[in-house]
Amino acid sequence: MRETLRLSWRVALRHWDVYRLNFWTNISPMVSDPAFLLICLGIGLGAYVTDVGGMSYLEYLGPGLAIMAAFWASVFETSYGFFVRNTFENVYDAMMTTPVGADEIVYGEFIWVALQGAGLATGVAVVMALFGVVDPTGLIAIPFVGAATALATGAIGMICSGLIRSITQFHPFFAVVVNPLFFFSAVFFPMDSVHWTLQAVAWINPFYHGVRLGQAALWGEGLGLAFLVHLPALLVSIFLLGWLARHLIRKKLIL
Amino acid sequence: MSIVCASQVRKVFKDTEAVASVDFEVREGECFGLLGPNGAGKSTLIRMIYGAVLRTGGDLRVFGIDPGEDSRGVKRRLGIVLQENALDEEMGVRANMLMFARCVGVPRAERGERVDELLDLMALSHRANAQIRELSGGMKRRLAFVRALLGRPDLLILDEPTTGLDPAVRLLLWEKVVQLKKEGITVLLTTHYMDEAERLCDRLMIIDQGRSQAEGSPRKLIRNHRPGVVVTFAGQSTPSEEDLLATGGQVSRDMLGTHLRLPSFQDAEQIVERIGSEHVIVRPTNLEDVFLEITGKELTADA
Repeated sequence: MRETLRLSWRVALRHWDVYRLNFWTNISPMVSDPAFLLICLGIGLGAYVTDVGGMSYLEYLGPGLAIMAAFWASVFETSYGFFVRNTFENVYDAMMTTPVGADEIVYGEFIWVALQGAGLATGVAVVMALFGVVDPTGLIAIPFVGAATALATGAIGMICSGLIRSITQFHPFFAVVVNPLFFFSAVFFPMDSVHWTLQAVAWINPFYHGVRLGQAALWGEGLGLAFLVHLPALLVSIFLLGWLARHLIRKKLIL
Repeated sequence: MSIVCASQVRKVFKDTEAVASVDFEVREGECFGLLGPNGAGKSTLIRMIYGAVLRTGGDLRVFGIDPGEDSRGVKRRLGIVLQENALDEEMGVRANMLMFARCVGVPRAERGERVDELLDLMALSHRANAQIRELSGGMKRRLAFVRALLGRPDLLILDEPTTGLDPAVRLLLWEKVVQLKKEGITVLLTTHYMDEAERLCDRLMIIDQGRSQAEGSPRKLIRNHRPGVVVTFAGQSTPSEEDLLATGGQVSRDMLGTHLRLPSFQDAEQIVERIGSEHVIVRPTNLEDVFLEITGKELTADA
């Protein structure tokens, strides 16, 4: 067990080594996306949408965008990123010749997306706190919410990587799976005002639970509901999706 | 002591049987060769040894451990050079090796030194800061050797180590293999080059269509399967059918000419003198003759 953790950590370090090499290339879209959305939607659209549950649209949008950074980073890392490393760059083939095994490759990937998710969500939230968009006292929870969200949505990306056979098959995955997860997540509008079918989509969407946790922390309200409902829901989805992802990736790495 | 022990090992992928039944044993300190045509199941066997492919049946022990159950225990003592090199192309040469040194558990304080020492051994020090894609095929293969040696393995597995390389690199790699063997490392190698197998392997096994076909030292295989001398006649120098049959030798034909296998050089000399032709080649039989006899010349659909 200890050895598994140690080796998984080394796999995660490999990803950090590579990420670091092109640090600004890697991090710039993760920072610029929330910034543009905040400006265009928060300020632009926000001029027309003046009241969302008692707050300005800019304030509504803030926490969701922080968690969104963790979402996109983890989804890309475990879908395109994983698939390319496995199929075209032989990264895992090479690692499999060392004491690292399929489990450590999967756990290493999870450790890496969790750390990346924690860092990115916190980074974005801190910047927004500096501009007074979100409540700074809630910042302490954001690394954990970012990491947990990244674990769950990263597992979804990994499940897809485990299922597809050619890289073009990511197109329908992004169109049919990732987009609904992204839009029906309460980042852009509260889900309790929409038709129940869409609410149902949100409830099975781990990203939604992550966003709700982030909102609870950074708005400083709805903490009870967050702890009793969204946190357990997110943890359960991490467990279930993570288990499935591990199973599928193992089948891919060990023939 | 046997390092690898395989008995009736079998692997079925969905609907294809890659390995039907293979038995072999690699003994401590030797260089053991796996020979076979493309698609014979060599790479599948190699992958089973380090647990990247799980066997369907039979028994396999590496250092007494079942790699299907404890691949990590096996891999701790293995160094592997894969056919496709499998280098991490997102990192430079030295960074790459440092990362792998971490994965095989070289203590932090020794990593740099170990990597530099091996880069030097494989004549790669001058490319330590290059990107992987800038390296030639020979350099990539040498780097794959560096990676395989990082963890000071007891068993070195080489899957077609010199395929596609120029003669100078082949020679360099052969020298290194011989040197490593002298240091006590056991070597398991697959190859398509019969000269490589004859030169490096103490014992070898020929597999075809997923089955063990013959095993022994190169000398013994030649003695048992194709002893003697081959006289090859090309074009107009080919003697008549009666003359050939009268020699009592074994006759075969292919694109390159007519081959007559005889027990000894004296027999061959007599024939050549009697026919009086200049256009003949006389050579001792070699492993290639054995290989072609055992695996058959025709290409099967799987190859």
